[in-house]
Amino acid sequence: MFNDLDPILHSQLRLAIMSLLIGVKEADFTFIKEKTNATAGNLSVQVNKLKDAGYIDVQKKFKDNYPLTTCKITKQGIDAFELYVKNLQVYLQAKQ
Amino acid sequence: MFNFTQIIMEKLKPMTEQESLQLISSMIQKAKASYHDKGISTLLWGTVVTIASVTSFLERQYNFDIGFDIWLLVLFAIVPQIIISIKEKKSTKVKKFEDEVIDIVWMVYGISIFCLVFYQNVIPQATQNLLKQDGWELSKHFINNTQPNQVIKPFIPSVFSLFLVLYALPTLVTGIVKKFKPMIIGAIICYLAFIVSCFTASKYDMICGAIAAISCWLIPGIILRKRYLKSKLLNV
Repeated sequence: MFNDLDPILHSQLRLAIMSLLIGVKEADFTFIKEKTNATAGNLSVQVNKLKDAGYIDVQKKFKDNYPLTTCKITKQGIDAFELYVKNLQVYLQAKQ
Repeated sequence: MFNFTQIIMEKLKPMTEQESLQLISSMIQKAKASYHDKGISTLLWGTVVTIASVTSFLERQYNFDIGFDIWLLVLFAIVPQIIISIKEKKSTKVKKFEDEVIDIVWMVYGISIFCLVFYQNVIPQATQNLLKQDGWELSKHFINNTQPNQVIKPFIPSVFSLFLVLYALPTLVTGIVKKFKPMIIGAIICYLAFIVSCFTASKYDMICGAIAAISCWLIPGIILRKRYLKSKLLNV
């Protein structure tokens, strides 16, 4: 049914992360956690999967002695996201 | 309405194409709605420019001097602005593409305002010197010859009108990019104030300036502040 869809993106939380990051320059881990209502542990795992796929760039810094993780979508991530949306549209058109 | 929490709970269940699309649009909307300008900078500049303009008008209208140039307030307001900008940058959880562009537009606006102030202060003397080099000087001739001609120092007619054009520019850009109507309306009022100022005596240009500052920054600043405080209350 969804054979053409990218398995990295075809997961609720990972798709949510990518959808948030597609419209912004960069976002903090706390922002993504707030918007997705995910747990820190689960989010961390999914962020790492996206990072390993080369879809997002993760930077770890310190701000006022607290760790700060910033995520940014990569060119490869944008291309993959656009292809995913395109495939969805094709599927929906075919269904109609 | 798409319930993301529910979907996360049911993450073992495969997503349908409809759910995928709903999730994408819901997250894009969430990212869009995440911006909340605290309105402090807008309020600061709206207040400072309004006070300076009204004071300038009152000084000219009632022939008194407060003892210092009120426009120095604008210069001093840069210090709290820098502190506000640093604090806001530190507390921002998300950076949007348009924020960077808008910040650049306001920075260029600041530089342009100082260039205009420089122009306003330098041009009269520079013009006088250039005229002198050619053996000229400007004089005032009375049409009915009731008084002898008087030498005058060159001046820039209605220079404050040019400030009004500059006030409107970053305000309109921000209003359009952020889809924030109060700033768009403010910028339109500012352009109208510019047209009016072209036909009024320079002391009344100050009133036009005050109207511009109130409509461009003070009122939008109050609206932004209210929105921010409301959103903060909802998130607590």
